[in-house]
Amino acid sequence: MLIAAVMLAADPVAAAPRPQDRELLSPAEVDHLTAQVAAQLRCPVCRNQAVLESSSGLARQMQTVIREKIAAGETPEQVKAYFVSRYGGWILLKPEPRGINLLVYLLPAVAVLFGGGVLFRQMRRWTGSVESEQPAPEPPDEALSEEEEAWLRRQIGSAR
Amino acid sequence: MKGAARWLIPLLPIPVLALLAFGLTRSAQVLPSAIIGEMAPDFALQTMEGDSLALSELHGQVVVLNFWASWCIPCREEHPVLARATREYSEGDVRVLGVLYQDDAASAERFMMRYGGDWTTVLDPGSRTAIDFGVYGVPESFFLDAEGKIAHKQIGPLTWPLLQSTVDSLLAASAPGVGS
Repeated sequence: MLIAAVMLAADPVAAAPRPQDRELLSPAEVDHLTAQVAAQLRCPVCRNQAVLESSSGLARQMQTVIREKIAAGETPEQVKAYFVSRYGGWILLKPEPRGINLLVYLLPAVAVLFGGGVLFRQMRRWTGSVESEQPAPEPPDEALSEEEEAWLRRQIGSAR
Repeated sequence: MKGAARWLIPLLPIPVLALLAFGLTRSAQVLPSAIIGEMAPDFALQTMEGDSLALSELHGQVVVLNFWASWCIPCREEHPVLARATREYSEGDVRVLGVLYQDDAASAERFMMRYGGDWTTVLDPGSRTAIDFGVYGVPESFFLDAEGKIAHKQIGPLTWPLLQSTVDSLLAASAPGVGS
């Protein structure tokens, strides 16, 4: 099986499944591929769950359909394409990165970059490396008046 | 630039809010069907009486294919609409065909006896046919034209105005002398 895998990886033409390859699928391999596809399909009933995780009747029946198709020789891609042709693109948990779906992948990155840029600019202002728009207020350099000093001593004295 | 940014940045949430507002006008329950306009997938299933019925046998008739279940409350709401369709249209022109979804024949029989109606319902064990049609809940109804193409999918219970207008337009399109 490992040799077959290496050969398939090396030669794209051989990567297309040939009828005799399917006889190599053991029940464990069928289970594995079924689970793999079921993890990538959205349960139409409980739509935030994968078909693999959902306990709804339809999800379990979809798993049976997936298993039969895999055992009959279809590739995971073909099985997924079948469900997309019946239900539409939303049946895939991960939307295909095409057309407006690209927004789902790009917007978060853009938002992080934009927010990061704003944050960076603000932080430079806060640490004083950039002149802020208003000059910092000048500290008063007159000494305290007598009244102010007496008031201050009273405050400090009462705090002891 | 600083002056421009000052009034520009507070406006940035507006397109986001517009997108969210648009989203609120869309129902999460109604998802677009991928098979409108395509030939309906053929099936050969057993009726509740035990005979075999293939969809291709209904070629030439307008078909209202109704996925339903006895436990489905909106299915009870639309049941009179289907019954009326079987009375008002001749079976040669329009065929109402039910497909049972995740239910057993006994419950379906009790339902039909209780609420009336004598149109055929086929059993779909394993939901193979439901999956073939991209069904994800009940009731869902598909309107097939005389050639077997899916003209319309209704998610949720049928209403008489919807059924009548859809069936009438499909009948008009398949009338002799029109296309074909």
